[in-house]
Parts: sequence; structure tokens; C-alpha cells
Amino acid sequence: MKEISKSVRKKDHASKMSGGAKYVADWSADGALYGRLVRSPYARARVLDIHLPEMPEGCFAVDRRDVSGENRVHIVMDDTPVYAGETVEYIGDPVLMVVGHDEKETARLAKAVKVDYEELPAILNIRDYETVFFDYNYGKGDAQKAFAEADKVYEEEFQTGYQEQAYLETQGMIAQYRDGKMTVHGSMQCPYYVHGAIAKALGFTPDKVRVMQDTTGGGFGGKEAYPSILACQTAVAAYKAGGKPVRVIYDRREDMEFTSKRHPSLCTYKVAVKDGKVIAMDIDILFNSGGFTTLSAVVLQRGIIAASGVYNIPNLNVRGRAVKTNTVPTGAYRGFGAPQTFFAVETVMNHIAKDLGVEPLEFKKNHMAKQGDATSTSGKYHFPVPLPDMIEEVEKASGYYAKREEYRKPQTGRYRRGIGISLWFHGAGFTGSGERDFIKAVVKLHKFADGKVEVLVSQTDIGQGIKTTLSKIVANELNVPLDKVFCENPDTDHVPDSGPTVASRSLMTVGELLRRAAIKLRGQWVDGEEQMVEEHFKEPDFIIPFYIEKFRGDAYPTYAWAVAAVELKVDTLTGVHEVVGAWGSFDVGTSIDLNIVVGQMEGGFLQGLGYSSMEQMDTDAKGRIRNNSYSDYIIPTSVDVPNLQVIMHEEEYPDGPYGAKGAGELPLVGVPAAYISAMEQALNGVNLYHAPFSTEDTMKALREVL
Amino acid sequence: MVTILANGFVPESLAECLELKAKRSLTPYAGGTDLMIEEDRGGQYLFLHKIPELKRIREDDDNLYFGAACTFTELLESALAPAILKAALSRIAAPAIRNTGTIGGNIGNGSAKADSALIFFVTDSALKLSGSKGERLVPIQDFYLGRKKLDLQPDELISEVRMPKKWLSKYDYQKIGARKSLAISRLSFAGLFAEENGAITHCAVAFGAVSDVIIRRKDLDSLLIGKTIPDAKAAKSAYIKAYEEAIVPIRGRVSAEYRKETCLNLLKDFLNKMGI
Amino acid sequence: MADSMTFILNGKETVYSGSATARLLDVLRNEYNLTGVKCGCKEGECGACSVILDGRLVNSCMTAMGRVAGSGVVTIEGYRETERFKALDKAYASVSAVQCGFCIPGMVLASECILSKNAHPTEEEIREGISGNLCRCTGYNAIVKAIGIAAKEGDGLW
Repeated sequence: MKEISKSVRKKDHASKMSGGAKYVADWSADGALYGRLVRSPYARARVLDIHLPEMPEGCFAVDRRDVSGENRVHIVMDDTPVYAGETVEYIGDPVLMVVGHDEKETARLAKAVKVDYEELPAILNIRDYETVFFDYNYGKGDAQKAFAEADKVYEEEFQTGYQEQAYLETQGMIAQYRDGKMTVHGSMQCPYYVHGAIAKALGFTPDKVRVMQDTTGGGFGGKEAYPSILACQTAVAAYKAGGKPVRVIYDRREDMEFTSKRHPSLCTYKVAVKDGKVIAMDIDILFNSGGFTTLSAVVLQRGIIAASGVYNIPNLNVRGRAVKTNTVPTGAYRGFGAPQTFFAVETVMNHIAKDLGVEPLEFKKNHMAKQGDATSTSGKYHFPVPLPDMIEEVEKASGYYAKREEYRKPQTGRYRRGIGISLWFHGAGFTGSGERDFIKAVVKLHKFADGKVEVLVSQTDIGQGIKTTLSKIVANELNVPLDKVFCENPDTDHVPDSGPTVASRSLMTVGELLRRAAIKLRGQWVDGEEQMVEEHFKEPDFIIPFYIEKFRGDAYPTYAWAVAAVELKVDTLTGVHEVVGAWGSFDVGTSIDLNIVVGQMEGGFLQGLGYSSMEQMDTDAKGRIRNNSYSDYIIPTSVDVPNLQVIMHEEEYPDGPYGAKGAGELPLVGVPAAYISAMEQALNGVNLYHAPFSTEDTMKALREVL
Repeated sequence: MVTILANGFVPESLAECLELKAKRSLTPYAGGTDLMIEEDRGGQYLFLHKIPELKRIREDDDNLYFGAACTFTELLESALAPAILKAALSRIAAPAIRNTGTIGGNIGNGSAKADSALIFFVTDSALKLSGSKGERLVPIQDFYLGRKKLDLQPDELISEVRMPKKWLSKYDYQKIGARKSLAISRLSFAGLFAEENGAITHCAVAFGAVSDVIIRRKDLDSLLIGKTIPDAKAAKSAYIKAYEEAIVPIRGRVSAEYRKETCLNLLKDFLNKMGI
Repeated sequence: MADSMTFILNGKETVYSGSATARLLDVLRNEYNLTGVKCGCKEGECGACSVILDGRLVNSCMTAMGRVAGSGVVTIEGYRETERFKALDKAYASVSAVQCGFCIPGMVLASECILSKNAHPTEEEIREGISGNLCRCTGYNAIVKAIGIAAKEGDGLW
């Protein structure tokens, strides 16, 4: 093991372990006002009039008329209003905020607000879409010709559902306007996203906005864009509050029902096979965006780029659309569009192999990309593709081949078993040229006279350990003890914009910038002097430029790789399925801290298993999310998957710090495909087409196969 | 002595407790695990945790007696609680809830999903209801009048569960939840069975979380009681058919079809296990 | 005329005269500033608000103040002063079991309740003991491992 991989005591361990860490809800509420949002009960309606109840002294309401800048939340397309405009577009769309002295009073006042609506026809189902927010198309080779020449053409449709981030800490934000400056702090992944959004909504210059991250109780993508919305709403209220802080802390039901979650998808795959090999794919992807675009453009981009999986498919045609429905807006969640398409591509490959009478894993091995091959977007896999070795590792840990053979034999009795495997990658960092053209990350190191060094970045530690890993990199390059290097929760008045904490970019991209900054500082180091160094992002030289209009070039500099096997035991009397074992090999390059990386892999892997099975979320006939509590949106507990094993495989990335590449999102992405493949085997080899898969789905399938 | 608090009373004997209950409109607070879920909780609570009479676990020759304010954990730790009861209690929610939730509260909440109540149904337990005018003993099946409707007077409290000792040894218990822990029953099944000299002396089954009230049909189970195993095998399909008609599930997070099919699967499995 | 009630909070006799129906969670956080007690759901479904009541793990969101009359309540703020906490602290740190940290105060108190009942639990018993404490970050493996390490290294403390 490399020295840098050896685990250390996490920088945030002590404060969190002792209960002393301050999350947004832990701020004293003395003198603060409470805000509560009043939301649309209709999926689509015109807002006619607002009738406020009699407001006690000091209580007030804000709506779109109080937005001093533009009534738009800056995300990507900026179509999300701070407060609803003339219409509401989903159940839960915030129309106004009531602000009061305490929680109960505010809740009572919010309930007493009467809004007159004229209900309008709404679109609730992805299949009924009328508005296409984004429509992308790309390809390579000659798919049309390949289909004409094929021995056989397969066409299948796949569906995936919502997934809720279910971070333990709900969303929360506190805003205060004092001396001409708006200060906002709360639970978030991206302080500068929030900063930009507030400046636009209030019409303030950037120097009049200050954003600070509080210790954040998990994000998983759910605190990438949503905090910008909540922060704008809260800031608008604070602007009117006469200097008092306004706090808005969501309860669990509000959070689950109305904040962004993973896009449900509908993917149609047409696959041409000739001489036992896939020669072309024609792929049509639909993502359900909900009422506004939020992050759908970029989620969709990543999804469609991954649509042909880890395979080298010479002829490809991919179309992807993010469509509007009058439901809660969907957004970022660990994996960011790729879990949906990986489920489809891995499953269609399994089905074709089965039809051809070939073991799926062998079939997949025959199509796997290798170093030097072209990517789906005609970029290049510049670095070794370690999948063959990783398959071996998972085989060794799980006994995949022997079990697969064993469970293929006709099974009798109450319990049936199956094992499945899937292969996937996760493109490390932002898609395309986003890093170079938009983010333009800047990092700084501040050396104090006493020799302590502060890491100045806008990265947020949301549990993934970034404070620790970045500090380790700097300490290592400076050759100083780790306790001499520190990293606080970011404050936009204090740190440069090193970009958001998303896309598995922080360690790879910001970590490398810090490594270079540390080398610079080492070269200039003068004992006893205060010093500051700065480093800017520079795209690696080997990159084939990416053009988003054509989806051509290197969408990612490198890839993190994964292979996972899932073994299931299915109860034919009740449909209950249980994970007997889950084994994954993950390549995120060099682990900057082995414990931290393994923790990321285990946590993400379990989220993937939940996404495959118990994490069911749906809307009712009116378009309302019905699974809005922890008793109704079921995430795994400690007893659900006791046998979950992670193997780290290291394929170093020369342009990441010490060989590290993107990590956080990888472990979740391809899990549902392995799960459903195991389920298919347990159910007499039936073909399945959706995830998550419930006990009830199992019973339905059993009715057909038993 | 009664501690009088703002919005609550903490009595220390059953007599004090019943006196308060007779005079005022108070919500009994046993474990609080159902009650406290509500955000807007008005009214006043009558706290039951300090009443020794409600915490007793005892037995006589024929029966076991469980105080209504016994927590699930207390019963799990008791040598007197039978295995079938422990099987169900050990799968309720998670440790923290089991440490506070009580059987009286579980029954009194009136839900057909109550996991301990299922066991009291299948064992033909009776409830002691204590009121200002005295006590009465009501078979649990008669206590449930409908969804959230109970045979309980405003001055009464569930004070004890009386469980017959006979027939407890051979049992089956199955719970279907959405996961292995912290799971509300989507379906639950309990069965008791006994045979002597080749004849079935007892058969009782109950289905929880299926209808408004836990399903327990002694009339149907009597189809098997008294029969030899071969005769019972012959009567098996009629018995299952009878339950097929008797089970009218409601739809919730799982469909009525799923509930019915799974109930019948578990019933058949129970009969298989018992050699029928 | 209402009495006030007393209870032992983190070892100190404490007088409370507010509503008996108030949630212990809210009172601990808002009146006694014990913000290590986290609110994750207010429905008894996540365990973030776990405290120890008379030696047993309970969800403070599911506990009304009247239930606490005459009882002893331990929160992370009290527990962190103990030798047992130090053993758990070291063990959790050694496997980096703390990620976002929101479940951790409850998880630590659940760990204490596992070990005080059984100083040498099996992995299965550990998993069962924390099965009411949701964690979305870790996948639980590290936490399970940490409790096992604490049992071993802290031998004699429990």
C-alpha cells in the first residue's frame, strides 16, 4: 500500500463523534424567525389570488412580488422560479413563505393562507409528455447499415423508478440581511452555486452575498442544486425581515415529498447482432424531469454518454430526451443519469446472451472496451481498462461461475437462488469541457507564520471525507505532519471558487490542484512568514476536445471501473428477496485514504442495492409523491445486507493526485443490473425489465414461471 | 401518589389511575410509539409506566398474565413469555421501539397490523379491562369491533392480557415486512397446532395486516380439529377454500391480490409443516 | 395547579415544569441546548434522536416528557464524558466509521446499549442492536466493525 493510502483519523471525526458538530438546525433560534413554505396542492394550476390570514406583529409573508432581483433560481437553465409565477407546475411548488416567531405559530399561519387556483390539465406520466426540455442525439459508425445487415435484432424497453437521497439530515437554511449584505448558511454541497443563485434572485452584486456551509448531514446529490432554491426563498424572506435571521428547516415529510430525487427513466434499446456479436445499438432514452429543468440537461448528458456501457459498439445511435411532467423536479443523485442507462444496457446484454445460449459474462467479455478503444462519443479510453482482472477478483470472492452454473439447474422448494454480475464505469469529473469552460477552479494555500497551513477551497465535507483527504495531499507534499494542515467549512468570503462538490471531481481535480499548489509552496517556503499560493485548473494535454453540440470527443479524462456480483434468495411463498451476498471490485485509482474510500464504496453499494429492491417511490393518481416518510420510503438497515464485501482495485490515473480518480458515485451505478440478473435466475430465467423490483413484482413473476 | 403536570398525570397505582380516567378525558400514554407520531397532539396524557399492577408478568396453572404496560423488551426478557410471543415481539420495529412500546398500547391502538395482537388472537387470549366500576374480561376477538373501534368504555383501561397456556408449544409465525428491521407488517401469520394419538386436538390460525381486524376464524379451524391426519389431509382443500373466502384483504402499499395469495401460501405452508 | 417534575439529565437532577406531552427530543434540543440529539424524522423511524432512558435505548422523538418523570436520561453530551465513550471513540476513528455524522450520536448510544447488555456481542447481535439506527453513508460495515473493536479493546469497561 502506498503511504498516502494509509488511513488516518478523520479531520471531522472528533466533532461529529462527540455530538458537538453544528448542523444548520443546531444554531440557536433565539431572536430568529421561522419560515414555512406554502405549496401548491395541484399538479398544475393558475395562481389567481393569495389571501393571508391576519398576521401578528412581526409576522409576514413573501412571494414572487418580493423577489428584488430576477424571480429565477440560477441552476442551469434558470427556469425554476424562486416563488411560483403565474402558474404552479407540480404538487408542492412553493407559492409563498410565511415567516413567524416560532415553529407552531408559523405552521398555523401557513395553514391559514388561502390561495385561489384555477386548476389546469396536468401531465403526470412520462409517456404522456408534451414538452421536451432537452433532446440530444449522437452516434458513430453506420447504425442503419448495421441493422440492415444484422442476423437478429432485439428490441426491449426498460424502466427505472425514483430514488430518494434520504440523507439523514433534512434540508435547511438560515439567512440574515445586515449592513447591506445577505449572509446565508446551511446544509449544502456547493456554496458558490448558492452564492450565484442568491445574487441573481436578489439582484445583488456578488460581494454583497456571503454563503457558508454548515456541517452537512449527507448529500448524495440531493444538496447540489436544491439548496440554491431554498436559499433564494429564505434570502428573499430575510431581506424583508429587518435584520433578523430567518430559518427554514424541513421536516422529513416535506423533504421527501418536495425535494429533488433521481429521474425515473424509460429506455428503449434496439440491438443488432451478427455472428454472435453486437454490431450496433439504437438507443432511445427518456428521463422524467418533473416540473422544471433544474439539472436535467447535465444528468441526461451523462446518462446518454454511458448508454452503451463498458462495451465497444462500433455503430451507435443514441437519442436522449428529458421531458416535462407536472411532478416534483428531479435532479442530481449519486451516479447522475448513469444508473438508469447502465441498468438498461447491462440487462439487454444479459437477455441477448441468454437468447444466444451464451453465459452473459462471457458474452460481455467479448464486447468489453480496452485501452485505446474509442468511447461512445469517439473519444478514447486513454488508460488501461482493468475489467478482466476485476472480474477475476469478484469471481474469486463470490464464486460467481460455480453458483451461476448451480442455480441454472431446475430449482425446487420454497427458496430459489440466483446470482448476477454487472460491469460498469463512472466517467470521472464533469462531463465534457465543463471544468475548463465553466468551473475554472481556483485553490489557495494559506501558510501562517507559525507553520500551519490552511486549505482554501469551496469543497464541502458532506461525509465523504474531503477535508481529510485534501489535507493529507497537502501535508504529504509539504512534508509536514497532518495536524499542521487544516480545512474549515467553506465560507465564500474566505475561500476561492474551486468548484462544486459533485461529479466525483473533488479529490481528482481539486486534490490535484492542491498537490500542485503544495509543491509551489514547498518551493517558496520561508519559515516564520505568512505566505499564500494559488493554483488554477488546467486541462490535461492528452484530452481530445469535447464538443457538446455533437457529443464528440473525450467526455471524461478517465474512468473509474466496477464489477459487482449480487446473490439473492427468493421466497416463492411470499416473494420476499434477500441479499445473500454482494461483492464488488472498485477501481478509483489510488485510494488517498483506504478507510475513507472503502466507506464510500460500501455506502454507495448498499444504496445501489436499495435502489434495486426496497426503495420504491411513486406518485399517486394526482401526481403527489406518496412515499414521503422513512416508514414508507424504505432504505436498508444494518441487518438487511450483512454480507457486503468490497475489493479495491488500483489502476492509477497519472493526472490525478498520486494516481487517484473519481470515487464517490461509482459504487451505486451498476448495482441494479446485477440484482435483477440474480432475480431473473432465481425466477427460472424469466426476463425482467424494471428496477426497483418489489416483493409483489416477484410474486407476479412467479405466477408466470411456476 | 399522582404527579400532576402541565397536560399530564403520572399515577403510581392502578386505583389512582382509574380514578383519574373516570373523572377526566385523558389519553392513556403507554409506550408513546404510536401516539407521538402525530405532530398536533392536543389534550392531556395519563402516563402508565409507574403503575406496578400494569407491569406484572405472572402465571397460574392454566394461564399466563402479562401486564398491559409491559414493554416488548420486558416480555422478550421474561422467562414466562412463550416462544410464539417472542417470535413476534422480536421482529417488531427495532430495539429502541421495543424498549418503549407496550402490548397494551399495541392492542389499544386498534390496528390489524399490531404484531403482538396477532399472537393474542391466535392464542385466544382475553383482555382484562379495568374501569372505575370494576373489571371485566373480554376475549380479544370480541374486543375489536372494527378498524380502530374497540369495546372499551371511556373510563376503562386495558390492564392485563390473559393467555391460555395450553396449545402454545407447536407454532408457526411469519411476518412479511418491507425489510428485515424497522418494518411494519405488510402481512403476518401465526398458527398453533397440536395432535395427540394421531388426532388433531388443536388448530388455530390468524392473519394480521390483511383486513381491518386481525382474521381469526375458529369456525373454520374446527374443520380440522378432532380429525386424524389422513382425514385432515382429505379436508385440506375444503379448509383452504374456506379461508380463501374468509380472507377479504384491503389494499395498501401492497395489493389485495398479493395479500390474499401470500396468506394462502403461508396457510398451506403451515399445514405442510404440521404434516397435513 | 401543576407540579414540576424532576429527572436526571446526564447525571444532574433537573427540574422541568413544561408540558408533559412535549417531545423529549424538542425539550432536550431547545430547552437544554443538547443539540447532539439529532432530529431525523420525528416518527421513530431513524434513530438519530436516540437517548438512553433508564439504561435502555429509546427514541427521544417518541417519548413525551411525562414519561421521563423520575427517570434518568443520558444523551451524547453526557455519555461523551465516560471511559466507555473513549473506547468507542477510538474504535470508530480507527475504521473511519463516521461519515456525515448525523446518525452518529444515536449510533454511539446504541453501541453502548449493545455492549452494556453483552460485553462480547457477535456480529449478528451488533447488527441487531443498531438496526433501528439508519445510516445512509456507510453501508454499516464500518460501524459494525467499530463496535466489535470497542468490545475487544475496551474489555473490562462493559
